[in-house]
Amino acid sequence: MPDNPSFLERHHFLLRRLHSLTGIVPIGLFLILHLTTNSSIVWGSFLGDSGVAMFQHEVDFIHSLPALVLIEIFGLWLPIAFHSILGVYYAVSGSTNTKSYRYGGNFRYALQRISGYVGVIFIFYHVATLRWGWSLPGAYLFDAHAASSTTAMALRAGSENPWQLAGILVGLFYLLSVLLLVYHFANGLWTAAITWGLTISEQGQRRWGYVCASLGAALMVMGVTAVVGFVTLDIEEARQIEASLHTAQQPAVETTLAPEDNAH
Amino acid sequence: MVTQAAKNEVHLEPGLKRTIRFRIKRCDGPGKPARWENFDVPVVSGEGVNVISCLQWIAEHPKTAEGADTTPVVWDSGCLEEVCGACTMVINGSVRQSCSCQLDNYAPLDGDTITLEPMSKFPVVRDLWVDRSRLFHNLKRLKAWAPIDGLHDLGAGPKEHTDDQHVRYKISECMSCGCCLEACPQFHQEENEENWDSSFIGANTIAQARLFNLHETGKQLAGDRLDTLAAAGGVSDCGNAQNCVKVCPKEIPLTEAIAAIGRATTIHRVRKFFRGK
Repeated sequence: MPDNPSFLERHHFLLRRLHSLTGIVPIGLFLILHLTTNSSIVWGSFLGDSGVAMFQHEVDFIHSLPALVLIEIFGLWLPIAFHSILGVYYAVSGSTNTKSYRYGGNFRYALQRISGYVGVIFIFYHVATLRWGWSLPGAYLFDAHAASSTTAMALRAGSENPWQLAGILVGLFYLLSVLLLVYHFANGLWTAAITWGLTISEQGQRRWGYVCASLGAALMVMGVTAVVGFVTLDIEEARQIEASLHTAQQPAVETTLAPEDNAH
Repeated sequence: MVTQAAKNEVHLEPGLKRTIRFRIKRCDGPGKPARWENFDVPVVSGEGVNVISCLQWIAEHPKTAEGADTTPVVWDSGCLEEVCGACTMVINGSVRQSCSCQLDNYAPLDGDTITLEPMSKFPVVRDLWVDRSRLFHNLKRLKAWAPIDGLHDLGAGPKEHTDDQHVRYKISECMSCGCCLEACPQFHQEENEENWDSSFIGANTIAQARLFNLHETGKQLAGDRLDTLAAAGGVSDCGNAQNCVKVCPKEIPLTEAIAAIGRATTIHRVRKFFRGK
């Protein structure tokens, strides 16, 4: 250790373990919930009236949570920023050698880092455009009261016609990124068990690998279902359902109530 | 039915002559530029020819395949039976011991090419000979020994548990050859010796921590070793590519050692957080 160890060196172990932990809780846990919610655009029609109604119901529930912005900042944005910044810092200290050593584990190591880089870019684009309303290329603002139709519009880069170049690019970007992020989570869950020392024997590592691969496969199915479900959504029909939902019942919480609505 | 071993074993008729082309990365000394030279080595099957014996032939005939005079190729070696690790080099892009690289299996055809390079994670002394001091520095950094120094008779040591002996026996076969470090995407050459203590310590040294922490006398230093492995360059710098266990010539379960030390370090640090020491 040098005479003046840096902050990163002094808290090396704690930061490494926190980096591992944040990947599972809250980020990994959120990924599972997020993909379950979003794929309801397809499975909602099997359990309820329609995917649009089910998705809207779930979005209304999320927006009814108290202090949602605080949950977002401390439960999502800060942990994701921490995991991303530290992750990129760690990843650039490695060097891939898959050309010489063509082992499965070595390819998983390389893909873990590539999926991390893509994931950072994607999550930033995803949150900046849909949540913060930044006008990046292909951006379209998400409206929690018309959750399905605006999500579908966003996945088509703001055009109702799904078959134009910008929309196809945004849709493919979402599809690829979701698959890579699910891989990143599943493989990270597998390596975390080694890092923390939960799976020690080769046999134990293999068994836990099957569990992580199964979870990853299930999440990939949900992710593909969600992206394809929104890209192929009938937007006109979705808007009618959303309009009928809001005339039939008040939204759970009036978050967008303008002051003049209450004026006497 | 053909067994896996039989498939890997190539049976050449003894006494067949063939020529093997060696492509060797050469360097005249530290800081000097590297260059490639070709050598054509005549080989007879059934004579147990390996890479080392071909290098010996080249030393006797220092002439490139193109006919130019050159200096003999320098390499490092010791036991010539894959227990010292000195002759480790990169053969056709993959690290291994050159003494156990048997050509009748590895290059059975006339005109087969074998590329030899020095290990890339250690500084080159000359040609295929590298300086592996950092590997031994890391063993000292870890305190990879049983502390029995003293002026008086310590008597018989404590009894070792049979299960631990089984785990330790395999790890004790490590010959510090450096294959696991060469194949590791997290271990890099570090020219500045001041950075050695904060750079990744590597799979072999982490396995030594398991070896000595399981030893009844060696475990007196277990806390020191786990502190070293919790610091920068310790076990948490492992990226789980698991190349180490694939290239280890002694088939030491390095990834199991890394996981076991990961667990021990976690427990050690949590305990230290609450107990203070």
